[in-house]
Amino acid sequence: MPANPKYLSSNWQRFAKITAGFLGGYFVTISFHLAISFIFNHVNVIITSSFSGFIVWSALMILAFLAKNGWKIWVIYLLLTLLFSIIIYFGKIYNPIIS
Amino acid sequence: MKNRTYNIIFHTHTVSGIVISVVLYIIFFAGSFSFFRDEIVNWERNQSVEITDDIQLDFDKALNSLHQNYNLFGRDIELKKYYIEQRIAVSMSASKDSVTANKTEGSKFFYLETKNNTEHTYDDSYTLGEFLYRLHFLAQVYYPIGYYLSGFVAFFFLFAIITGVIIHWKKIISNFYVFRPLAKLKAMWTDAHTTLGLIGLPFQFVYAVTGAFFMIKLLLVAPSVLFLYGGNDAKLYEDLEYTHSQYQFKNNAISSNFSVNSFVASTKKLWNNFEVIEIHIFNYGDENMHVLVNGHLNYSSKFNGVGEAIFNVKNGEVVSKKSPITKTSYLDGVKNVLYRIHYGDYGGYPLKIISFILGLISCFVIISGVMIWLVARDKKNISEKKRRFNERIVRIYLAICLSMYPITALSFIAVKVIQPANSSFIYYFYFIGWLLLSLFFMLKKDLHFINKYTLLSGSIIGFFIPISNGIMTGNWFWEAFINQQYQILFVDLFWIVLASITLWVSFQLKQIHKK
Repeated sequence: MPANPKYLSSNWQRFAKITAGFLGGYFVTISFHLAISFIFNHVNVIITSSFSGFIVWSALMILAFLAKNGWKIWVIYLLLTLLFSIIIYFGKIYNPIIS
Repeated sequence: MKNRTYNIIFHTHTVSGIVISVVLYIIFFAGSFSFFRDEIVNWERNQSVEITDDIQLDFDKALNSLHQNYNLFGRDIELKKYYIEQRIAVSMSASKDSVTANKTEGSKFFYLETKNNTEHTYDDSYTLGEFLYRLHFLAQVYYPIGYYLSGFVAFFFLFAIITGVIIHWKKIISNFYVFRPLAKLKAMWTDAHTTLGLIGLPFQFVYAVTGAFFMIKLLLVAPSVLFLYGGNDAKLYEDLEYTHSQYQFKNNAISSNFSVNSFVASTKKLWNNFEVIEIHIFNYGDENMHVLVNGHLNYSSKFNGVGEAIFNVKNGEVVSKKSPITKTSYLDGVKNVLYRIHYGDYGGYPLKIISFILGLISCFVIISGVMIWLVARDKKNISEKKRRFNERIVRIYLAICLSMYPITALSFIAVKVIQPANSSFIYYFYFIGWLLLSLFFMLKKDLHFINKYTLLSGSIIGFFIPISNGIMTGNWFWEAFINQQYQILFVDLFWIVLASITLWVSFQLKQIHKK
């Protein structure tokens, strides 16, 4: 019953998916939690992230493996990170946590 | 589910599972015993204490005796009960008084015996219970590699749990009652893996998340420090209420007499059923001396009842308090729950025993997963060389994992026979013994033999544990029962029951011949 290799990717695709899931997923998780710290009570968000972070991160890892193209998922994760970073950028200007 | 999705998820589950299997087994095996860490420690010391988180100590007497040895003036002193033992942890800062500082030495950490106020270093308080507890987060591996390794194993365990649930999703209900012990070997392992995996699912999910939280939360917190707090980590820890407030040292001796006991008593009067787990004294003996009393309500009255009161010693007034009775903040709730559900220490022995059983079930799920991996690849279309390689891998895995049982049992006897057993003795005994046993079982080249004889030897050694305790201390388990020393009694009975079960299992094992 080992998985049918015709569905599994090889070499660079595999590399792209593993790194996208592990690193890209981490970036998305962190930037997402940082971004919503500016919207909700930031202390509650930080303490929530201590467990929700791992759950979101592992879900993103699974999604990366399901992608058709590993590089595409990298791009999506980087765009999401960028989007959340923009929120962080404006959050820091208009609603800073420490002044 | 599409075929493609199923196969991909299946493959990630297999690979992540195989990679973490051995370390995860070690974590779960040692972790299961860690539920009884305090019982094991008390058993080793032949001591029995009241089972409560509340510190049982005459604080004034203890502080006076410490004052004679260390000149406490101007120090911050923290007394904390981490475990249900006779010893509590004492940590003190260097004195803030610059004149006396040179003759009173710097900061200190040690354990204080609450019955007679004697001091013990960390090393001479080391026990097998502590060793097994620390083994379950790989603390013996060079710091911080062991911590991070165990944290990432917990994280990838979470990954494996989620992928496992996805694979099994459609068959969760229909296959729950399916067990085909007489069918093909692979069907048997699969049924065992999925059914027990599902029973243990909530438990394992909780331990994967909280385990990752304990060991690698820095990965999630560090970006907050960097991007939200501009590198000011002290402010973050203050916001998360991990630090105490500070009180300025006036360098002026307090004129009145004071009693820490009275502050503890008045805190307990504030809240019914309050258990004091920590006393923090700011500026001992100074005009601006403050006493913090921290603890929680007994878990039978409230699960999330953390409370704290700070007293100004000079006028005896409460300067700050956090009531455990009124609504618990979200922050305190999360912080408390993540610890409680991992430690399983809020429900007495029934919860600990269930947790232990679920821990061992998780060990079995890991092993059965490895066996599925092996059996699924033991086919004609796979080359002989590859099959022998797979078999060798599994043999090494099983030899390492399963020989933990006899060496753990043997260590219980070793720490009873050779006393005092310090940390290096326990290290050498456990790790060298484990290595030799693993090598022996690897060389036997027979999975059935490994399985049967690790269980059999562990059982026989297990039966000798209460006997060795009886011989060495004269405190046989029936006497412990009569004297109501339940922690000692528990460990003896625990081994009799565990050894009986594994003995019975080892006799049931029959060699399955390859056709």
